[in-house]
Amino acid sequence: MKSLKFFVVFTVLALLFTACAPKATPTAVPVATEAAVATEAPAAVDEVPAVCGTDPFGCAVFAPGDVIKIGMGAPLTGGDASFGLDISQGAAVAAKDAGTFNGVTFELVAEDDGGTPEGGAAVANKFAADQAVVAVAGHIYSGASAAAMPIYEGVGVPMLSPSASNPPLTEQGSKVFNRIVFTDQTSADITAKYLYDKLGVKKLALIHDGQDYGKGLAELVGASFAALGGEVVVEEAITPKETDFTAVLSVIASKKPDAIFFGGYTSEGSIVANQMKSTGLENAVFFGCDGTFGAEFLTRTGANGEGAFAVSLTPLDTPAKVAFDAAYESAYGKKPGELSPYTWNGYDSTAALIDRVKALAVVNAVGKVFVPRGALVDAVRGLKDFVGISGTYTCDAKGECNANGPLFMVIKDGAWVPAP
Amino acid sequence: MNESGPLPVAQKGDKHRKRVRIIKLLRPALGVVVLLFILFRMYQVLVVQHEFGPDTWTRLLISGLIIGAVYALIAIGYTLVYGILFMINFAHGEVMMFGAYAGLFTFQAFGAIKISSVPPTSFLNAYPVIAIILAFLIGMSISATLGYFLEKIAYRPLRKAPRLVPLISAIGASIFLQNAAQLLFSPQLRDVTNPEILKRGEGWKILINGSNVVISYTGVFTFVLSVLLLIGLYIIVRKTKLGRAMRAVALDKNTAALMGIDVNRTISRTFIISGALAGAAGVMWGLHNGLVYYFVGFIPGIKAFTAAVLGGIGNLPGAMVGGLFLGIIESMGPAALGIDFQLKDVLAFVILIIVLTFRPSGLLGEVLAEEKV
Repeated sequence: MKSLKFFVVFTVLALLFTACAPKATPTAVPVATEAAVATEAPAAVDEVPAVCGTDPFGCAVFAPGDVIKIGMGAPLTGGDASFGLDISQGAAVAAKDAGTFNGVTFELVAEDDGGTPEGGAAVANKFAADQAVVAVAGHIYSGASAAAMPIYEGVGVPMLSPSASNPPLTEQGSKVFNRIVFTDQTSADITAKYLYDKLGVKKLALIHDGQDYGKGLAELVGASFAALGGEVVVEEAITPKETDFTAVLSVIASKKPDAIFFGGYTSEGSIVANQMKSTGLENAVFFGCDGTFGAEFLTRTGANGEGAFAVSLTPLDTPAKVAFDAAYESAYGKKPGELSPYTWNGYDSTAALIDRVKALAVVNAVGKVFVPRGALVDAVRGLKDFVGISGTYTCDAKGECNANGPLFMVIKDGAWVPAP
Repeated sequence: MNESGPLPVAQKGDKHRKRVRIIKLLRPALGVVVLLFILFRMYQVLVVQHEFGPDTWTRLLISGLIIGAVYALIAIGYTLVYGILFMINFAHGEVMMFGAYAGLFTFQAFGAIKISSVPPTSFLNAYPVIAIILAFLIGMSISATLGYFLEKIAYRPLRKAPRLVPLISAIGASIFLQNAAQLLFSPQLRDVTNPEILKRGEGWKILINGSNVVISYTGVFTFVLSVLLLIGLYIIVRKTKLGRAMRAVALDKNTAALMGIDVNRTISRTFIISGALAGAAGVMWGLHNGLVYYFVGFIPGIKAFTAAVLGGIGNLPGAMVGGLFLGIIESMGPAALGIDFQLKDVLAFVILIIVLTFRPSGLLGEVLAEEKV
């Protein structure tokens, strides 16, 4: 019994000590003493660049033939899986396009975070423990990004999200979080203006799903709309994963809104659009957001979706975009932008990260590639005039790197077309 | 201590009795306060602010009745199993989910069989009545079979174990079935294609207060079928031999065995019946709401369990009343009290707590439930 107790205590302590080891030090630094192997003529010295010693987070080391990983946390299962799949595929094309760099290749590693904060934290921990992950093109969802940020902050992994648009994300003083998508504030202001001026909506109803993104966006649109002089007649929240919203919609119908703005994702948005017709809201316009754009919304709503608006981020046709479109379609059989509006952003964020890694990497005499982590965090934050498919990106001090505003799309005759 | 003559004891007794009387008054006092608050809020919303017209209330009532009918069907399953085995079958929601998937696939299959190409019609739309009946039969059979095997594998071996063990087994079965469905059918949300005559969202339009209130075909169908199934079940339980056996086993298992009732068979049959009802509820869910995925049984399962407890667990009419009551509270409650719709689940569970505080046996429950151990 005594020896068993001793064994258990020993195991627990051993586990504690191994767990407490800091990330940067273990695998990273090969000692220079290996240099003089036998009595050969001056062999190349495998020494560690000086920058790795001074960098606060150390360096990631890659031997020729290794893979530099760019991580991505996205919802890959569940109702919003099409988003995660689409963006990760766009990003994977960028990783392939990056080719071989000093014998090292790039790979996009997408992990399922379910779009939730809990999932985001779990995936972040996984990436933080993986030495080969130097940067994260994500996370895709705002809630997951918020939870993952502090974890990456602690290990020096920069983030460049293609789609997390909740404004407070860049207000938290994080050094690692950056994004190339315009914020919800910009989106909300432009949406409110479109509703009020273009569509002539005077009474607006807000529905959101209570999550970071949907609630944040709906409230911002409401505030902008009210500032323009419109009236927000009601704001209601629905519970995600439910399928019967007829009661909420009936109550909203009683206020007779001209349009309904929906902040949330396709799984709930399509149900709202469907059930609007049978709850007295036949004449109200359904105005979605970038979370409700995509082929899935079309198939889910069918005829009920006629006249529904959403936000798209499809960029203009440049040679780079056309090339990407072809590559994506040949690899995955679908056109980019069909499953989600962020395919091009996925490509751009990964391409930008890889570009920064290539600029910063130091190759030693033996051919090993060293990527200083702390410097990479600063380099991503310092991104300047990076030409991507969706625009040119320059990151400001807070991590906002975007250039464009949203493009509105409407369903006409069963397909998404640019809104007038 | 030695001087404790009659006087000190009487004084102690008096104080004690007074304290007990105060505590006994506390519960009804609390009840009156809560009731006054609810009435005040309803007065505010209905009379003072007069927010919603009769058309909105009608819509809310219709929503409530439909969802209540589905809850009632699923709640019956919980109540039947509790009455017989004194355990809560937490995997019941998943039984409903499998029924929904069975309905989905049947409709898909029928939709794929082409009867004629000009005009292009499928079996689903050419013979909708047969298709619907078959879909329900298949859905109910699959769920019934699932219920039977659930009992055989997860609950029967644990019949002699302390009460907590089958409960844990039930939760484990629930998680197992959810993940099995996720792996078998992929986590994507699936759409159910209804036959043309039962198109979702279409219905009879009544003009109330200037706006069209739609009484949807699928909604009416769901409600009527639920009521029919509930009546059918009631007849089975009251009039048939099987029903008598079920009631006997629920009352006293050992004596029933002594009387010559095959207890194991009766319990299996109970699970089959409750599974069949859940399967019907699942197919209806698919028809009316149109979305089926691996997690679709979880929330209705919990709500139905709440409904069963609300109406009095172990009590059959109680489950039906509880289901309808819960459905209506969910729909009309937030509107009547003027609170956010996001809080409808909070409201439902608060009502549950209130009902259980003042009437622990549920709305229609008998107080003698404890004696059945």
